Amino acid sequence: MAYVIGPDCTDILDRSCIDVCPVDCIYVGERKSYINGNECIDCGACEVECPVEAIVVDRVAKKNPKFSPYLTDQESFFHDILPGRDAPLGDPNGATALGPVGVDTPLVAALPSNQ
Amino acid sequence: MSKAQKLATDVLILGAGPTGLYGAYYAGFRGLSTIVVDVLPQVGGQVMALYPEKQIRDVAGLPSIRGRDFIAALKEQADAFSPTYLLGRQAVTVEHSSDAAVVTLDDGTRIEAGAVVITAGIGTPKPRPLQAGSQWLDRGLSYFVVDPEVHRDQDVVIVGGGDSALDWADALSTLATSVTLVHRRSGFRGHAATLARVESSPNTTVLTECEVTAFDGDLANGQLQKVTVTHTSGEERLVAADHVIAALGFISDIGPLRTWGLQLAGRSIQVDRSMRTNVPRVYAAGDVADFDGKVRLMSVGFGEVATAVNHVAVELDPDLNLFPGHSTDES
Ligand SMILES: Cc1cc2nc3c(=O)[nH]c(=O)nc-3n(C[C@H](O)[C@H](O)[C@H](O)COP(=O)(O)OP(=O)(O)OC[C@H]3O[C@@H](n4cnc5c(N)ncnc54)[C@H](O)[C@@H]3O)c2cc1C
Ligand code: SF4
Ligand code: SF4
Repeated sequence: MAYVIGPDCTDILDRSCIDVCPVDCIYVGERKSYINGNECIDCGACEVECPVEAIVVDRVAKKNPKFSPYLTDQESFFHDILPGRDAPLGDPNGATALGPVGVDTPLVAALPSNQ
Repeated sequence: MSKAQKLATDVLILGAGPTGLYGAYYAGFRGLSTIVVDVLPQVGGQVMALYPEKQIRDVAGLPSIRGRDFIAALKEQADAFSPTYLLGRQAVTVEHSSDAAVVTLDDGTRIEAGAVVITAGIGTPKPRPLQAGSQWLDRGLSYFVVDPEVHRDQDVVIVGGGDSALDWADALSTLATSVTLVHRRSGFRGHAATLARVESSPNTTVLTECEVTAFDGDLANGQLQKVTVTHTSGEERLVAADHVIAALGFISDIGPLRTWGLQLAGRSIQVDRSMRTNVPRVYAAGDVADFDGKVRLMSVGFGEVATAVNHVAVELDPDLNLFPGHSTDES
């Protein structure tokens, strides 16, 4: 189980969710943030902070066509090799220490501007 | 270190969340002397720290119970066997002697335990660091206000947007020469009434959509002079600062347990079916324990810690049975 960040985060990226995550498992790509499902403890603190309501729990995301692609996309951010990198991120165990990743999944990179 | 105690116990339960409290009951039920350690000042782990007022509906036999009432009931159950609670102290290191695991706490207390059951959950909350000033920590930068008097007649910069940042800005406004509250966003998470007081205080400046990006002063002598505050537009300004207090929330991690030689997977400790770790005399249960097929729920943690303590009982006295008997036998 985990929470999922949907497409509305793209180009907004105001990081309020990151400030409140008690386990520091929300990672910044380039235009969007991604939650690491293995590290998330399902506390829901991030959901209420997001100014654009981009975050939902996976049970909701599965049934919502706007969010469901981002469930797999969020996994792919950690488990596939991102453009320009030579290994998957995996479970880095802390976004602050890792810093912004600086690259998005192909799905997010191809999204039109959201500003 | 002079006050440091030396204690001995059959079982040391490391973490007083729901799993640890039930483990303390269980160890007492098995006739084992028990010490429970937690870094937080209160028992109850995540339940008390994150959702004391929520209703819990998935614990066997309790159709619906408020978080804090559930923790009170778990504590009452454990207290039937009078375990020793050492709260507000973190377990830091483990050493091994021929017949005990010796755990040292951050206040120097040493506990000789026949076995340790780690019920550390998601670990210990630590302040989220302010990256720009990391070398200034404990010189011109701190993450808490321990004694407001320290900041009398200082220029103080407070960073953050939650209740702690607002409370400290409010409390220091009458003591400090100036207070500058810096927050990355336009809106504050903390209480509106406190924010209103802070905004109307004559010596307080509120800077939103801004971050502290650089510290400047005499680092060797711990004399901070000013910080650079950068607006999201890129515009920079210098703010006089004797001290910066960063209240950026907390990140939990198992921290010192990482040095115990345990087999880890991320934040979790690998256990076998008896809840044993790879380190002698050390078991783990609840959210912190990991095995194939793990489900992180309290009802699962209760089963795990009962399993762990029953195995501990046999490890400490091989003449005992693994099966404890029934709790109904006594009445
Ligand atoms: C918002 C929310 C809602 C939830 N709702 C439910 C629910 O409805 N049902 C359910 O079953 N579960 C629920 N959970 C999950 C449940 O709270 C956890 O599974 C449970 O708290 C785990 O208990 P624990 O005792 O293993 O760990 P924790 O509760 O995390 O407690 C661990 C304790 O160990 C202490 N500790 C850690 N390291 C050290 C150290 N080195 N030295 C000293 N002390 C240390 C910590 O301070 C903490 O108090 C919810 C969780 C959240 C966040
Ligand atoms: S649900 Fe909690 S743990 Fe998961 S990403 Fe949100 S804030 Fe972090
Ligand atoms: S708070 Fe919302 S918009 Fe901001 S980074 Fe998090 S998910 Fe994205």
